[in-house]
Amino acid sequence: MNLFSGILNGLGEIWAHKLRSFLTMLCVLLGVMSMVVTTGFVEGMFASWSTSLEEGGGVEKITGMPKALSTRQQPFRALSPGFTLEDEEALRRLLPDLAHVSPELDANVTFQRRGKRHTGRLQGVRNDIFAINRYDLSDGRVFSDLDMADRSEVVVLGTRVVDELFEKDEPVVGAWIEVDGRPMRVIGVLKHYESYYQDFNVLRWKNQIAFVPITTMLHKLKPGASLSWMNMKASHLSQVGELVDSATNILGHRHRGLGDFEVKTNDEQLASFARTKASFYFFAAGIAGISLLVSGIGIMNLMLASINERVREIGIRKALGATGRNIFSQFVAEAVALSLLGGVLGVGVAVGVILGLGAALPPGLAPVLAPSAFVVGFTFSVVVGILAGIYPAMQASKLDPIDALRYE
Amino acid sequence: MPAEVIRFDGVCKRYPMGETVVNALVDASFAIREGDFVSILGPSGSGKSTLMHLLGFLDSPTTGEIFFENRPIAEISADQRARIRAEKIGFVFQAFNLLPRMDVFANTRLPLAYHPRPPADATERIWKALELVDMKNRAHHRPGQLSGGQRQRVAIARALVNEPRILLADEPTGNLDSRTAATILDLFTELNRQGRTIVLVTHDPKIAAYSRRQIHVMDGRIVRDDA
Repeated sequence: MNLFSGILNGLGEIWAHKLRSFLTMLCVLLGVMSMVVTTGFVEGMFASWSTSLEEGGGVEKITGMPKALSTRQQPFRALSPGFTLEDEEALRRLLPDLAHVSPELDANVTFQRRGKRHTGRLQGVRNDIFAINRYDLSDGRVFSDLDMADRSEVVVLGTRVVDELFEKDEPVVGAWIEVDGRPMRVIGVLKHYESYYQDFNVLRWKNQIAFVPITTMLHKLKPGASLSWMNMKASHLSQVGELVDSATNILGHRHRGLGDFEVKTNDEQLASFARTKASFYFFAAGIAGISLLVSGIGIMNLMLASINERVREIGIRKALGATGRNIFSQFVAEAVALSLLGGVLGVGVAVGVILGLGAALPPGLAPVLAPSAFVVGFTFSVVVGILAGIYPAMQASKLDPIDALRYE
Repeated sequence: MPAEVIRFDGVCKRYPMGETVVNALVDASFAIREGDFVSILGPSGSGKSTLMHLLGFLDSPTTGEIFFENRPIAEISADQRARIRAEKIGFVFQAFNLLPRMDVFANTRLPLAYHPRPPADATERIWKALELVDMKNRAHHRPGQLSGGQRQRVAIARALVNEPRILLADEPTGNLDSRTAATILDLFTELNRQGRTIVLVTHDPKIAAYSRRQIHVMDGRIVRDDA
């Protein structure tokens, strides 16, 4: 008897015990489904994160970011001024290998123009930010030295902000808008960024942004605030490690030894991305593993019950010439048929659930159809079938034909 | 003299039953030759079912030796024995032992599924076997839809489908009315006339009378053998 006819025979047995088989199959179905759906969630979540990381500066980027002080240093917090323009000045002067340095101060502001309002993120920066974070202009210009020195009220807008404030085909560059009630002239417009994952533009954050000179931000929009970040970019990847150490020293000196900042590379972010992703996968795999274990137990239970009922059949088959191996493969094939059917149905239901959730949930949160999950779910259900079938099948194959024939 | 198919040489079979040991078969020695039509006759509990199981090597003797085609079966592995059963032995049971969830055709096909060298003309053989027992028109009925005689005829077709060297029948008419029984026995006689070796186990002297040789069993001992 080959595997195919064994599976066909198994399907016949499944049909003969419809309710019982259905309940067992339901376990496999739910197991495979939960596996495919959770994997889909993880994939969906991380797809946007990973593209964003790439587009957020690449591996040569170095970021100085604020960090909470340790309890021991808490009493001295007033000693450190936080990130300042003097820090930037020092980094520029002492680290010639840094290709770009740009301070950054973020604010949530309201843009207004001719009765239209839009709330969004505004960053005070130097021109270096366009190189560090990979922004290109589609129209107009970036900030001039004069803009910087004068704290000019000029703004560079992302396409999303433009769309919110301007009608189609209206001239944007040269127009005036209000930022938190303060008139500012639009001098440049960013390129439109898009990279779709399913229906989700993972780069949309690059369009939802606007820039003003850091000096303008510091003195006119958020006077007295300290900087949010210090963005840097090495001229060459090989210098990144050394520059991180040097920048840490310089900033440490300027912050009077207080650990209120840390200097990180994108590399570390990528690594922590990978770590987080791995732990999510372990989590998802854990859930799915438990459900598949449960379904394996269900299958084994069903097979043991079924063998008990079919002792006589096994005896007849043995008397007619079936070897132990024939009986063994027959029962394994039945278990595989059962779990395979459950697996196929599980994948089918998972597709439905993912499509349904995809329509109902906002992009970025919704699960995606990950082909790997199907392969894994499918393989897993077959493996579970085989493993759960082995023990009952061994019991069946070891039955003495005499006892089996006498059994009533 | 025709070739020996099966030979028993001082075969004993004991098995424990509760506290005591039952001597199901004591020192049985006989040979079954090609073309024989032997009936094993004895009252119930005389050990004839044990004899039957030993003949089909579903069971092994406690002492003594059984030879199949002059090979001691003690030297044959369990898998090999199963293969010999699939290839050279046909079983007909008193309780028919058809698989209830398969139709007549599938039941008849079973031995071929386990045949070590499945014949190319398997389907034709199944039809031929069903025709022989006149069950061709019921091929797609389930056993539950058939009468006792019909079921036994299917069981015989199943036993014949692999064209076995020897046919072992355990009370094949035990569950049938006398007219149906006669049909079945006539079929056996006909099969034997065509050269098939047949061993028939029964408690009924009238049925044993159909055979050409009788072996009488009483309390596990062979008390008479017409050989």
